[in-house]
Amino acid sequence: MNDLLELLVSATASGCVYGLVALGYLLITRPTGIVNFAVGEWAMLAAFGAYVALSRMEMPYPVGMALVLVLMLAIGWLTERLTVRPLVEKGAPPLAPVLSLLGMLVVFRESVSIGFGADPQPVPPALGFGRFEFGPLAGAYQSFFIIAITGLVFTGVWYFFERTLTGKSFEAVAIDRRAAALMGVRLGRVTAASFAVGAAVAGLAGMLVSPNVSAHYMMGMPLAVQGFTALVIGGVGRVEGALLGGLVLALVEQFTVRYAPIPAGLAMGVPLVLLIVFLLVRPTGLLKAREARA
Amino acid sequence: MKSLVRYIVAALVLSGVAFVLGSYQTDVYRKLLLWITLALSYNFLFGICGQVAFSHFAFYGIGAYSVVIFITQLALPLPLAVLATVALCVALALVVAIPATRLAGFYLALATLAFAQLFIVVLNEGGTVTGGTGGLTNYRLPDIFGVAVTGPWYTVAIVLLLLGTFAMLWRLERSWFGRACRAVRDNPDAAVAMGVDARLTKVLAYTITSALAGLAGMVYAFVDNTVNPAIFSQESVFQLLFMVIVGGAGRPAGAIIGATVLYLLPLVLSPIIGHHHALVFGLFMVLVVIFQPRGLIGLWDRFISGRQHRQAQVQLRKAHP
Amino acid sequence: MYTFSKAIRTVLGCALLAAVPAMAQNTIKIGMITDKVGPAKAYAEPVSAGVTFAVKELNAKGGLLGRQIELLVEDDQGRPDISATAARKLVDAGAVFILSNSLTPATQQVQTVTVETKTPQLAPSNSGDTLTTQISNPNFWQTGPLGSTQIATLLSYAANKKYRKVAVVSDNTELSQLTTKAFKAGLEKAGIQVVSEEVISRGATTAEPQMQKVRAANPEAIFLTGFLTPENALILRAYRQLGIKSALLGNFNFSTPQTTVVAKGLLDGLVFVDAFDPSKPEVKRFVESFKKETGNEPYNLNGYGYDGMMLVAGAIQRAGSTDKEKVRAAMQATKGQVGVMGAPGAGYGFAEGKRTGFDPNGMVVRVYEGDKQGQVVHTGTK
Repeated sequence: MNDLLELLVSATASGCVYGLVALGYLLITRPTGIVNFAVGEWAMLAAFGAYVALSRMEMPYPVGMALVLVLMLAIGWLTERLTVRPLVEKGAPPLAPVLSLLGMLVVFRESVSIGFGADPQPVPPALGFGRFEFGPLAGAYQSFFIIAITGLVFTGVWYFFERTLTGKSFEAVAIDRRAAALMGVRLGRVTAASFAVGAAVAGLAGMLVSPNVSAHYMMGMPLAVQGFTALVIGGVGRVEGALLGGLVLALVEQFTVRYAPIPAGLAMGVPLVLLIVFLLVRPTGLLKAREARA
Repeated sequence: MKSLVRYIVAALVLSGVAFVLGSYQTDVYRKLLLWITLALSYNFLFGICGQVAFSHFAFYGIGAYSVVIFITQLALPLPLAVLATVALCVALALVVAIPATRLAGFYLALATLAFAQLFIVVLNEGGTVTGGTGGLTNYRLPDIFGVAVTGPWYTVAIVLLLLGTFAMLWRLERSWFGRACRAVRDNPDAAVAMGVDARLTKVLAYTITSALAGLAGMVYAFVDNTVNPAIFSQESVFQLLFMVIVGGAGRPAGAIIGATVLYLLPLVLSPIIGHHHALVFGLFMVLVVIFQPRGLIGLWDRFISGRQHRQAQVQLRKAHP
Repeated sequence: MYTFSKAIRTVLGCALLAAVPAMAQNTIKIGMITDKVGPAKAYAEPVSAGVTFAVKELNAKGGLLGRQIELLVEDDQGRPDISATAARKLVDAGAVFILSNSLTPATQQVQTVTVETKTPQLAPSNSGDTLTTQISNPNFWQTGPLGSTQIATLLSYAANKKYRKVAVVSDNTELSQLTTKAFKAGLEKAGIQVVSEEVISRGATTAEPQMQKVRAANPEAIFLTGFLTPENALILRAYRQLGIKSALLGNFNFSTPQTTVVAKGLLDGLVFVDAFDPSKPEVKRFVESFKKETGNEPYNLNGYGYDGMMLVAGAIQRAGSTDKEKVRAAMQATKGQVGVMGAPGAGYGFAEGKRTGFDPNGMVVRVYEGDKQGQVVHTGTK
């Protein structure tokens, strides 16, 4: 029973990371319809940022974290400005920004590989490595930290979209771009902001997971695939879907490895099979999008 | 008739080259021809039909592995192995296409990416059938009618594959099927309104192009006489996509230019740009998408039409001094 | 119309390639295939640095057979099919010997070229046991520390502990899988039962599910065969997280500096095999001159590359010419050559009919003390 509860904590933490990646993607795709495959690379950039700030320069954790988040906001904004805005202004087909972001994926990854080398680099965790017992649940400090931060982020984002006017205007853009523009919503601002925040959220995921897996230039792709899978499972319609999808994915993944009597190598195929099943049976995900109220 | 002559001349020229190249150059040439073949079929799927699929390289791998397994483990004679491989590729493509083509854009990309990764997992876990992580080696092309086809003659086989693929796709593009594909790509609702069966079109396009990729894979298996999971990794799919985009999506000439440039560039330019060609390609891709979405072939077009324009102006001036 | 321009373009492209750069005459050309941008970069590049250093050292002493050595370096980007192409380029350029430092499947694919062209090939750091046996290639030698040697050394160290039940934890790289096979074979031979076998895949965010399974099987010792540093760190973290007390014995990958950096705080008490004994005089000399030349402290991967190049040089020297067949025969006849790697008293050599050169008794066992690699506690397999 202990095993199960410990696994629950670990899976929840992993699920939160997937959920954050999915959220980073969702924040961009909902208002703009742009598919950003580079979301994993953003997580990687933040992980390296954390390495520089926390391991190399040894800043205190909150300072380092804040700095990296600001950096990610800037990177997100720049990415939009340089590689997406020119396309939107030219009236390029919707596929075009997707492709240029794909190109940026390679640029980000190679730049880090050239700049930092191929070796993985250590990133210190927020509260050190230690075992924490919360009633019957036990897990690493970092796991609980991840869960706490993710909870905060998702609550904040939910509140933003549900309760604030600015947030509702973002929702409006997501539902109908033209109508929103006609109502006076500044599309350019919305796009730039969603890229910036999306990058920051993805970066957060990278910072939270890298103390465990280290920062290395190849970490982006697996995270991106896990994030997308979470998104498909949870549904693109609602912000909560990202988190739900992440949790479902992580729980299925880890519980299968732990309890299913199949060889470990095949267990790797489980997330892929899950993704395929969802795409076939329920591509809109578990949570349906909220319809526009008449 | 004229086009047949053109094909024969092309076949002769391309094959002739094979007989004058050294061992390294032959290897580069063969792999270049295979990349061009893959780029042509991917261009049809992505450029003309508008399907963002990441499974193309997986079918390349399925073709390669299947033919080797059929020949070495099931001891099938070559013609039967070839047929069986094609049949397997078509069957798997249908299995993926039929559900996947209900999805559009991002979802299709994701589904095909998942399929490609699943393929690698199966390869790694395949035990003695697929050779696991080490792959299969120690085989060679069986004799065809008692003749061992090696060296430059095998390169000729690759040339024939390339021209055959080119011809087939050329035909398809110009036929009603090509028009239907483009219609579905540009405006699926209008296409349906005009009587095109969008679903069938998409499934056919995916199946045909994936089977062509499998065919190329079959031919590849005997180039290095080794197949392993590392060769068919997902990195290569991005490279294929970049080739088609940088060359010019939707145009066979674009696929050819893109494949040639992106394949030869690292080899030829490594003394200059060092080993950072992946970075250069990423940048290329971004720049092409933003500034020249028609790709390199678009530049060529501009040049040609610019020249025609200037010639026309000269004529006009001559006529009206 | 386009078919023609296509044909012309292709021919022109190949003409460009035909312009093989002119080489300095009268040098001995040694080819080296490394991975500068791909997944094997962290392992291939240090080995290549060792080779480059060896070439510099040899050239400073007058080269080989009175001629300078020219090192032709090719990057295969960690892709086996490019590796084969690179090998052909090196053969065409006149390389006498090819050193393949990249991934295990890449080395394998290069063999299809060297067996065909009868070119001598050496893999100085690959440790997969089946590399010399899967393809029957008399021109291929391997001097990396084999998985079977690693497990034999570990087991002889642990003989007095009388393990009955153990676990094996690996990752999903080919090398790790090959090492696992070798380890299991060794364990079986010693009559030890493997009660749990787990795999961590690349890109995993945690190793807890797998380590929970290991814990549930209650092994006395856990053998680690992974090669991906981030994933190894995950394994060690989960091990501590779950409070597992079984002994930890690792493959030679746990001796690399990256492991020490990334797995800080997790290594105390971990037993691992290595081939680098800092007390050996050859090692002391190597460390000093390498540091002087490059400014970096060398470690075991550099040593493998250095030794590999020295073996190649020795073979060419004894053959007295660059004729491939003579070099092959000389290489096969190598016996007892002492290098930087290996325990004191160990030497490289190829037994009759075998082409793996690392001395089966040449590995050492060390234990981590805190985050530092402790002294050698055991040598060889006796």
